[in-house]
Amino acid sequence: MFKQSKRRTAGRKNFDITYLGDSTIESYIESCYNNSKLSLYLKPPIGEITLEEFEIWAIDRIKILNEIESYISRSKTFKEIESIILPLINKLLPLNNFKDKLKDYYSHFILKLCFSRSKELRDKFVKIETILFKLRFNSLIIKEQIEFIKNLNLPWIYIDQLEKNSLNNNLLNSITPSLIFQLNLIDEQSRNKFFANEQFIKIPFELIPELLSTRSIYLSKGFAYIPQFQQLNLLALEFANSLKNSLISTSHSFPSLDEDDRLLPILNHLSQGNQFLSNGLEFLSNDSNENDINAISIKSLEITSNFPLCSTNLLDGLISTHHLKYLGRQQFGLFLKGLGLSLEESLKFWANEFTKSIGLDKFEKEYKYNIRHSYGLEGSKINYKPWDCRTILMKSRPNKGEYHGCPYRDFSKDQLKLKLSNMGLNENEILTVLDINSKGDYTNSCTKVLEFKTKGEVMDHITHPNLYFERMRSFSQKN
Amino acid sequence: MSSQLVSSAKNDIDSDAGNSSNSSRVSASDMAFYYERLLPFRYVFQWLNHSPKPQADFVMREFAYEFQSGAYQRYNSYNNLEEFKASVIKSNPTRFEVGAVYEINPSERKSVPKSKMKPVEKELVFDIDLTDYDDIRTCCSKTKICTKCWKFITVATKIIDQALRDDFGFEHMIWVFSGRRGAHCWVSDKRARVLDETRRRAIIEYLDVLKNKGSKRLNVRRPYHPHIQRSYDILKTEFIPIILEEQNPWQNDKAAIETLCKFSNEKLNEALKEFWGDHPDRSSFQKWKDIDEVAKRTLPKSTNFKLIVEAKQDLILETLYPRLDVEVSRQMIHLLKSPFCIHPGTGNVCVPFDSRQPFDPMSSPNLHQLQREIIEYQSNDEDEKISDIDKTSLSPYIEDFRKYVTRLLKSERNGKRERDDENDLEF
Repeated sequence: MFKQSKRRTAGRKNFDITYLGDSTIESYIESCYNNSKLSLYLKPPIGEITLEEFEIWAIDRIKILNEIESYISRSKTFKEIESIILPLINKLLPLNNFKDKLKDYYSHFILKLCFSRSKELRDKFVKIETILFKLRFNSLIIKEQIEFIKNLNLPWIYIDQLEKNSLNNNLLNSITPSLIFQLNLIDEQSRNKFFANEQFIKIPFELIPELLSTRSIYLSKGFAYIPQFQQLNLLALEFANSLKNSLISTSHSFPSLDEDDRLLPILNHLSQGNQFLSNGLEFLSNDSNENDINAISIKSLEITSNFPLCSTNLLDGLISTHHLKYLGRQQFGLFLKGLGLSLEESLKFWANEFTKSIGLDKFEKEYKYNIRHSYGLEGSKINYKPWDCRTILMKSRPNKGEYHGCPYRDFSKDQLKLKLSNMGLNENEILTVLDINSKGDYTNSCTKVLEFKTKGEVMDHITHPNLYFERMRSFSQKN
Repeated sequence: MSSQLVSSAKNDIDSDAGNSSNSSRVSASDMAFYYERLLPFRYVFQWLNHSPKPQADFVMREFAYEFQSGAYQRYNSYNNLEEFKASVIKSNPTRFEVGAVYEINPSERKSVPKSKMKPVEKELVFDIDLTDYDDIRTCCSKTKICTKCWKFITVATKIIDQALRDDFGFEHMIWVFSGRRGAHCWVSDKRARVLDETRRRAIIEYLDVLKNKGSKRLNVRRPYHPHIQRSYDILKTEFIPIILEEQNPWQNDKAAIETLCKFSNEKLNEALKEFWGDHPDRSSFQKWKDIDEVAKRTLPKSTNFKLIVEAKQDLILETLYPRLDVEVSRQMIHLLKSPFCIHPGTGNVCVPFDSRQPFDPMSSPNLHQLQREIIEYQSNDEDEKISDIDKTSLSPYIEDFRKYVTRLLKSERNGKRERDDENDLEF
């Protein structure tokens, strides 16, 4: 797809191998990791990579960031995220050797380019990358953690024994609740023992608002005394701050990239599609169920019971009125196409329903073209993809007599209650979904419904009606 | 934002009309007189400007006027002391409020994009109001106050003041009587002024022990955090005279059962209800002691009495710990009445006071009284050249404020020099 010709680097003003000095790229990258398994990504990456690496590495990192984001938005705890994300990190972004580090380092900086362009994107990137950093830090062994911090030369002042002794009770009383609830030190003796060996860092209170607001630390004369076991908070803060600053300076230098016609398309693609890249497209090539999807079976309970609410609503609308307006036809037609309904079967299906209210003639004249078009056989011959949740939510809301859109957004509370109970959710589950729904992130509601319907077995964040169908169907088939 | 402020200000005046005499009403000419002859504009200017010469701290600062009609005018700003004074005198508002320092001059806000109107600095402020104590005070209610219930404010200022000094290391703070039933605290340390809203929120949450004032749900863990422990030590000595003796809120048996019978030990709650049922109308002081005695008498030896002691400690915090208005402190753009304004409902001057000295709001200066003082002074001695201010009882308050502002300006100058020195070393 991309021209892979080896260009000569000589004469390119933004590529200057000389400032590597005597060191190799290998030793340069290692130095960015302080010979550990973590980096604050302070120095820019140097050296050449191929466009292919550029794109693939970025996509792999985006997959991880997307997963993390999806779990945060469903307010999973740090522990839960850890158990799910760590295997993924080990698969896509391990940090075991030089090659791994190269990929990690570059992908971080590539995404920095994608996410630097608006404040919203920057904040999101900082938030998720900081969590990734914390996950990785936690997975290090203690010795590596200490080594890593030592090499950073952070401006942390450890208080001496004399000062600690003079503040003894104040320090202990401030951190006791955290010792009990965070570190599970229930009995006093083990707490005292822990405290005796614990070192404290003294920093201005402005740096740790979270610990301040929960009264988790001792505060005196404007200084907060942080126990060593809370230092990850500080470290994460350090990481987030430096990332935030470098994102801002990245955004300033962005215009100079404008002339680069190789990178910009990739970057645009990455930052726009980042929601869906991770868990989309794969199921579209999933042909295993194709055989049993046809104009008749598509209406059978065996299939329709796996529909997400939006598709059920469209089908109900179609059956009761024998018609769907344009956006409804698009949304539902492409959804069915995504299930594997072939063009012939699709035409049969629509004709069956529509001819209950209009003549076959009229159908052939007015609607056939439209259906063929969406299969990529007319006009510009684009093979249209099923709409994901984002697309659906972006279209105009349904008017009276229209059935497209997202029911979680468009239905009244009572309507939704009824529909959810039709889907087989019990009272409690319905209330939970309604509660989530009131927060306005409708994909979370849909995700929760699927979680209930599959007894907690399916936990994927639903960002596409077809993803819902696919997960639900494979669950039904298994049981 | 502004409409909200308008309506709340209006309520203030409306509720006042019912329960105070007309003599405390302040007319437009009274206000004009006060602005022209008494209000110490120079010191207010210096206090907000942190320097004798006008700088961004003052020039980019928002002021808001409230008028007799209830109208509220935001985003006024002035280039210097003279302009400030002239504008207030000309507009003659019932009061003026102080807001944040912005990136650009607030009066020019219409000519720049909205995103530029960001607050950059603002004193850290606290607001304590006696109406939040209505469930526990028996002497007065709503807008009324007396020397007895002012003690709530005295205790509150003591606790907040100490935390700001000892814990946060702030030095330049001034407490101001709000003119009727509360007090404001303004922290002017540079370090406090530049705090963003996240940090302001963190500070107020650190200080706010009663989550949502008045809901009386205590937000503390054991052992008490050093700040809570210190506050408790102050409160437990005040608790007996203020609550048990003066306010005596639990002589009323119903109120006592509602508030006091909330121990985690149901048996104790029942025993107390029964005892107070049999012996009605005992004083709060007696009832407080009854708890221990009833507990000793009725509960088995194996009971964890420590829990009951701790619950009583929590109760002391719940009744007496400062009840703070969180939003006022958190939002940078929140406006607050300037010191030395006149409370439109009472005619009282919003005088600054030192939280470590006794202050009696009942005998603090009132506009009508100040006018009388000036007239009476003139009739005594007509030859002597003496300023209007010095003829009144407002004079010592202004003098204290002047001293405070002088100290603030001095430290600001030193701070600047230090910062400059640091820079010198770097380059």
